[in-house]
Amino acid sequence: MGAGNVRRRGGDNPDSPRMIAHRKVLTDEMVAKIEALAPRYPNRRALTLPALHIVNAELRHVPLEAVVEIAAVLGLAPAEVQDTLTFYQFFHQEKPHGKVRAFVCRSVSCALRGGDHLLEQLCAKNGVEPYGTTADGELTIEPAECLGACDFAPCILANDDLLKNMTPETAEAELKKPRARAT
Amino acid sequence: MTPFKPVLLEAVGVPDGHTIASYKSRGGYAPLEATLAGKQPGDVIEMVKSSGLRGRGGAGFPTGLKWTFLPKDHPGPIYLCINADESEPGTFNNRILMEDDPHQVIEGIILSSFATRASTAYLYLRYEYPQSWHRLQGAIDEAYAAGYLGKNIRGTSFSLDIYLHRGAAAYICGEETGLIESLEGKRAWPRIKPPFPAIEGLFRKPTVVNNIETMACVSQIARRGVDWFKSIGVPADPSNPRDPGSYGPKLYCLSGHVEKPGCYEAPLGITARELIDRFGGGVWKGRKAKAVIPGGISMGLMTESELDTPLDFAGPGKVGCLGLGTAAVVVIDDQTSIVDFLHNSARFFAHESCGQCTPCREGTSWSLRILERIKAGKGRLKDLDILLEIGNTMGMMPGSTICGLADGAAWPMKNAIKKFRGEFEDYIKRTNPSGWMVTDPVPALQIVGAH
Amino acid sequence: MPVVIVDGQEIEIGADERLNCIEVARRAGKEIPHYCWHPGLSVVASCRMCLIETGQRDAATGKITMVPKLVPGCQTPVKDGTVIVTESETVKESRARVEEALLIDHPIDCPICDKAGECLLQDYHFQHGQPERRADLQPFHSRKRDVGPTVTLFVDRCIMCTRCVRFTREISGTAELMVTSRGAKEEIDVFPGHPLANKLSGNVVDLCPVGALGDKDFLYQQRVWFLKREANVCGGCSAGCSIHTEHNQDAVYRLKPRENPHVNTWWICDEGRYGWHHLHDQSRILDAARKATSPSHRGSGATPATETVEWADVVVKLRDDLKTAGRLAVAVSPMLTIEEAWMLCAVARSIDPEAFLALGFVPTKGEDETFPGGFTIRAEKCPNRKGVEEVLALYGAAGRSWNELVSHVAAGKADAAWITAGYPGPWIDTAAAEAFANLKQLVVQDLFDSPLMRLASWRLPATGFAERAGTWVNVAHHAQSFRQAIRPPAGVWPEGRLFWNMLGRRGLYDATAVRQQIAASSPAFTALAGEMPATGVDLRIHQLA
Repeated sequence: MGAGNVRRRGGDNPDSPRMIAHRKVLTDEMVAKIEALAPRYPNRRALTLPALHIVNAELRHVPLEAVVEIAAVLGLAPAEVQDTLTFYQFFHQEKPHGKVRAFVCRSVSCALRGGDHLLEQLCAKNGVEPYGTTADGELTIEPAECLGACDFAPCILANDDLLKNMTPETAEAELKKPRARAT
Repeated sequence: MTPFKPVLLEAVGVPDGHTIASYKSRGGYAPLEATLAGKQPGDVIEMVKSSGLRGRGGAGFPTGLKWTFLPKDHPGPIYLCINADESEPGTFNNRILMEDDPHQVIEGIILSSFATRASTAYLYLRYEYPQSWHRLQGAIDEAYAAGYLGKNIRGTSFSLDIYLHRGAAAYICGEETGLIESLEGKRAWPRIKPPFPAIEGLFRKPTVVNNIETMACVSQIARRGVDWFKSIGVPADPSNPRDPGSYGPKLYCLSGHVEKPGCYEAPLGITARELIDRFGGGVWKGRKAKAVIPGGISMGLMTESELDTPLDFAGPGKVGCLGLGTAAVVVIDDQTSIVDFLHNSARFFAHESCGQCTPCREGTSWSLRILERIKAGKGRLKDLDILLEIGNTMGMMPGSTICGLADGAAWPMKNAIKKFRGEFEDYIKRTNPSGWMVTDPVPALQIVGAH
Repeated sequence: MPVVIVDGQEIEIGADERLNCIEVARRAGKEIPHYCWHPGLSVVASCRMCLIETGQRDAATGKITMVPKLVPGCQTPVKDGTVIVTESETVKESRARVEEALLIDHPIDCPICDKAGECLLQDYHFQHGQPERRADLQPFHSRKRDVGPTVTLFVDRCIMCTRCVRFTREISGTAELMVTSRGAKEEIDVFPGHPLANKLSGNVVDLCPVGALGDKDFLYQQRVWFLKREANVCGGCSAGCSIHTEHNQDAVYRLKPRENPHVNTWWICDEGRYGWHHLHDQSRILDAARKATSPSHRGSGATPATETVEWADVVVKLRDDLKTAGRLAVAVSPMLTIEEAWMLCAVARSIDPEAFLALGFVPTKGEDETFPGGFTIRAEKCPNRKGVEEVLALYGAAGRSWNELVSHVAAGKADAAWITAGYPGPWIDTAAAEAFANLKQLVVQDLFDSPLMRLASWRLPATGFAERAGTWVNVAHHAQSFRQAIRPPAGVWPEGRLFWNMLGRRGLYDATAVRQQIAASSPAFTALAGEMPATGVDLRIHQLA
């Protein structure tokens, strides 16, 4: 029952024709960033969440193909990575979220100062359901739980920017501005 | 009453206050240098124990005592995890500390690592604080450059690395072992205890998990002394040997229906009324408060008549709240429906329940559905009894769940229904005149908009 | 010896035993209900069904101090003086609430769910649940999800005990199953393109306390309350896993692992689990038949006709034919039990005192495969090689292999051969069978047709694992005895019955009596004397100094 006998990682042999033919999603740069973090942790599994963020920061989502590749890099089964990924209810998978990802807080302090109304109005103005992305791929509007900015309620986190004391009108104007991508 | 001169918040408003130069000009890192030059880890533990510092993350456990749970003579590695996953609704003081005075936090981390013999400190930072991320990374880089981090710090045998580890918007990662599981790359399902993290924590090694504000306090205690810390706050009750007191300054977050929401530093023990009126400019729009959350939504509600409760570790418990929690005070005015409040709370906890154990996973989901149904005009009086029963039976305190999220979900339900039952009953009767008295189960409604 | 008090009853446990409250309570006859705990998997204490009251009795004063809150019995180790309360009002209410919670979103699928009758959710509801439903009604039936070649997932029946996920991570090491999402929306799933496809996959169905995981081989085949179960041993390989054969009206419906700490712990492999279909294969040999050798046929060039022989006549005619033929060689199949092997050797020597005895063909496939949890599938695909070898040693034929027998026959040193086989699939090709082409008599006793069977002058049906009683010895010298679960089809005589009758013994074949006789006859088999424990015994137990 030695480690050499460990049967790991149901899935394709990376050298199989099918896997080679499959288009690689992770760039060498992404893999390098992941590997650069490896010395920080005593095992590879701890790289899972950082790896998801590295891919997500570039692609604005983590498609299933990326999950397979991340798993291969980390020596895990795809199901193990997907398990962790879906827990957070944070990573889009089917298609990229908008270039601006607007988290609209709906927890108690913002709700007391119009957070739910803000979300509802922004969705209506942009023609999306909550968690939806506009057709032009520019904007995603998502409800978020407490953003930790209750001193500026109601607030929105748009990429790296905290938008404070928002109204539906000021928020709409802010969200239409071009914005640096999220870290 | 003279306003308390901020210590933890002393860098707020100072230009470039987040830089190492600014921090050092305020006396920062001198305590660390003195400690490394002449003290032992045990000395630092004693200092923190004597100060009476209690964890600022929500549980209020005496910090120095927690450090002593680590096994003696362990070959290591020992880990320090800093819980910067601040997600308790109403709470934002950690954000301000990290953005405006990251070095205060970092010096505290280094001192705490020295005390606990931790060789690596992971700072688990919630995703939603990108500005904190940048400030912290910048400060960590400055600390390495100044020789306060890395190998053989200041020529001693003490080495330390601080790594930032970013979360992904899950509240349960603020639970000690949920944080650990998340850091290890798994879903953040809190662990069963025992073993406790001090024995088997991160990567199954001895681990201490401390809050950001706690780290800032460690810096200040090292700089200004134990006596200074103990001169602030509420001393231990001499007739109760089990009471550790409520010492030191506290960052109170004030939000909701007040004129001036903000983070205010005051000695532990000011009352909610003082905080609201003196710091917060009073309830907004000339209204009165209907209910006030004393320490983050998990702590439950105080009524207007309970606002003279001191906000120290012992106070809120005396009026039926769960405790001081994160000292995040949220004011709900008298024109807000308590039903809406409870629905908001239930929605939060149902969304954030990790789903591991049956009573919380199903209890939070069921209570949300009941409140949705009440809000949709199909509530029954019997629902209030069911909600109370759920609230009374789920949680770490009765022993039915693995972690305290369920207790946090339960307390707002228990407080809201017990303290505002009349309002709930009126609402149900008014909105469901034909069905409020029914006691049989009803067919579930299509839930619109619930996440 | 440490004493634990369970509902007032004192239970002594071993000084070195590490037990939790569930295990100790069982010794007091109390079953603490639980879903997520399993002795073979990590402890997660997440279902909360096993919550009980515990306390400590002071050794000096006898005073009992109870812990003020409920604790999970699965994660609480016992020590001397531990007090366990399993039936207080607080405990009962807690169980009722867990049941209620699990039933809130559970589809009321019982009428169409395979698990009915062996479902813990059902059982605990009746034993511990509330009589009245309080939650909103949302009648629906479960979604189905194909998670792999052997298992179907009925998604909404799942109670999130995570036993199946933990199995694939800790025991098979293949990690195909995962939990997705968070909170009440959690579901079990596999990653697209990476189905549950390991060699131990069927075990997750055993583990599932409810009807969420369905075994495709068994789904909708039989209601479990019609099944009878017999303790058997798997005949698929030399691991000799303990099993239960579950059957009705002489048809096997499924095999389940039987707990055996000495052999397979709680698991069996898929090959063994699903390795019973050959018993009901339509192409099984069912008649004892003999090629007619009447003078009119000799030398005519025509294919000799085959005549079916009644079993009672087989006993006499087979002996006569073999005696007439001359020198006898016998292959003792490693599929036979010790009792059958021993009797066969006795029969052979009674026909030809110089009969050449050897081990039958030993089928192998691949390599031994060990999984991270320790379970091993053996490459040797027969259950009793060790046992047959020990029997051959008694008859002075120690170590004689199948290859030696083939050479012996090919060299013309035998006039007749009796090849016992009983393999579940093809095992010999035409080329290999050629060695047996020139015998005066060739007896082949097997389940299915083969090139060798077509050369046979005597064609005898064999029986499969569930159709025989006896003892097998596995690769680790562990002997297990088992009873016959089902009758062979069409009145076929199991090998044991045939050999018993050919030895002239009276009455019905009694495997136990033969085992006792073997045990008395040689120190090599002393361990088999007397009552055989359900989990078997190490054959060498008396030889270990």
